[in-house]
Formats: sequence, structure tokens, C-alpha cells
Amino acid sequence: MNRFELLNLLKETIQNELVICNIGLPSQELYKINDRPNYFYMLGSMGLASSIGLGLSLTVDKKVICIDGDGSVLMNMNTLATIGNRAPSNYTLLIVDNGSYGSTGDQKTFTNERTSLKEVAIGAGCKNVIECSGEETDGNLKKALADKDNSYVIISKIQSGNVPIKPIPLNAVTIRDRFRKSIGLVSYL
Amino acid sequence: MKISQKIITNLKEGGADFFLSVPCKLLANMITILENDKDIYYSAIPREEEGMGICAGAYLGNKLPCIMMQNTGIGNSVNSIVSLLQLYQMPVVFLISYRGTPGEPVGAQGGMASVTEDILNTLRIPMLHCNTEDDLDKISTFTNHAKVIESPVAVLCNFNLMKDD
Repeated sequence: MNRFELLNLLKETIQNELVICNIGLPSQELYKINDRPNYFYMLGSMGLASSIGLGLSLTVDKKVICIDGDGSVLMNMNTLATIGNRAPSNYTLLIVDNGSYGSTGDQKTFTNERTSLKEVAIGAGCKNVIECSGEETDGNLKKALADKDNSYVIISKIQSGNVPIKPIPLNAVTIRDRFRKSIGLVSYL
Repeated sequence: MKISQKIITNLKEGGADFFLSVPCKLLANMITILENDKDIYYSAIPREEEGMGICAGAYLGNKLPCIMMQNTGIGNSVNSIVSLLQLYQMPVVFLISYRGTPGEPVGAQGGMASVTEDILNTLRIPMLHCNTEDDLDKISTFTNHAKVIESPVAVLCNFNLMKDD
């Protein structure tokens, strides 16, 4: 299973939650599969999806899902400690761990070698850290979303590989405004 | 403590209601005040760049965030400021302890001090310089200005202003 197939599998599960999606191909694939205004697509600042989602989850009651990647988490690993100590119960971090920097040409990341993001997340203090296969991911995500009392970190171990895809035809402020409208904060759209 | 209290009061009056900090000894009193303030959210964080991300998320959730840090933190955060906060037009207040300004005992702080304003100018980030206690009265309007222009703004507090607080 590659990332596109995984995101397709999760399509029905992430309809109404607030989603912060990692830069590059993950956002482009999610846009192609099921574009929704409550999806925030990152167009820059690689590594910060998990942090943006944390800030959001601290300020709203709805469930927040960060769809991140192994390369991006490796770039901003200190935020796992902030998540471990501060994430509220509406926060779920889904790390799509395909062992590669997919958007830049599938160069291998260290999760292919000795690095375990599961162990890093546990060591950083994150609660409910689950490492699973692509096939098991939807069930674990459903469990996280049904749990009102706990934050989760789910690491979905899948294959690398991309599908042909185009850039997202939305500008940043449009993404911002329709996202904020979906939580009732913009009235002029 | 008087200066620190005045800064926090002005930030809150300007609308800031979500605070993060990466530590600096000049920010220590402000951090103590925020830790005991039940009206706002406050957390320490390990690194400034992730703070820009957390602030972006808090803005999406309708907060006006403020991140407190040394000027060195601007150096750690340039891409996240340009490619996240400015790209999506998100207001965030940077409350900066301006290390390396006159009075600073640590010579090594001079390097980042010498480029801090050039970086902020290059990024077109409005700056408020606070050298005296009277300057602090401008922080409230300046904080609200971030919201009006939907952009980060920077409040720079010089070493000598903060050192005896």
C-alpha cells in the first residue's frame, strides 16, 4: 500500500474532522481524493503540520487530525516533546511512514535504517502511540476519533511511491478562509 | 517585574490571548506572570520554528498568538515566517528580548544582534523598538495592528530596558 491508497482508504473516516495536511504530495493527493474546506493544505514550511495541528487543537473542541510524514517529523522532532506534554484529547497525529521523502523524489529517510518514530514518540512523552500497517490504519484512526479522553499518535508503515498529480489550484488565503469558515470563523465567504 | 507586567498587560489589551515562549533570562519574569495567568493559554516550547507552527494553528482557531523569544529565534524561524505566517496572512506577535544590544555582557550575542533588524526588514515585518518604559505603552496598539494587517509584527525589547526588571 502506498500513500495514495492509504488516503483513499481513510476517505470516509475523515469527512468532518479538522485536518492539517503535510506539504507536497500528501496534500495534493488528499485534494484529488476528497477536497473539503475543513482540510488545511500546507503549501510551505515543511515539518510543521504536527505543530499547526497542535496549536489548532488547543483552541477548538473538534477533533483535529494531522496527516504528517516520516521525513517531515524527522525535520521537526522537538515538537513530539511538545505534543507529549501538551496535546489535548482532541489531537491525533497520523504519521504516514513510507520511509522516503516522497515529494522530492523518494530519497530514503532514516526510518528505513535505525530510527523508530514509535520509540521517539514514546520517549518524547506521547500517549497512545500505535505503530501499524496501512491496512490497520483506518481501524486505529476510528478508535482515536471515538476516544474523547485521549490524544493519539498513529504511525502507519506503508510502501513508498507516488501517483502522477498536479499542484493544488488554491491560493493560501483561500485555503485559510474556507478552513476558518468551516469552523464558523469567517462570515464573508 | 514592573516592566514585565506592563508588557504582558499591553499585549493582552491589544488582544493577544495565546502565549508561547522559548526561554531567555530577560523573559523570566514575563514567563512567571504568564504561568500564573488563568485568562490566557501559555506554554513553554523547545524551539521557535515549531512555535510559528503552533501559533499558525492557534490563529486558525481564532486566537491572536504571541511568541516570546530571543532575537536568535528569528534566525531559527525565517522559512516558517515567510512560507507559513506571511503566505497565509496570519497575525502573530513576536515579543523579542533583544540580546546583544548595549548592556549585554555576552559578546557572542552581538552577531545575531547585528543582523536581527536587517532580517526583519528583509521580511517586511513591522518593528516596535522598546528602549524606555514609556515605549511600552505602544505595545497594545501595535499588537492589534498585527490583527488589522493580518501579518506578524515584532516588538523588540532592548537589554538595558529589561536587565534590572
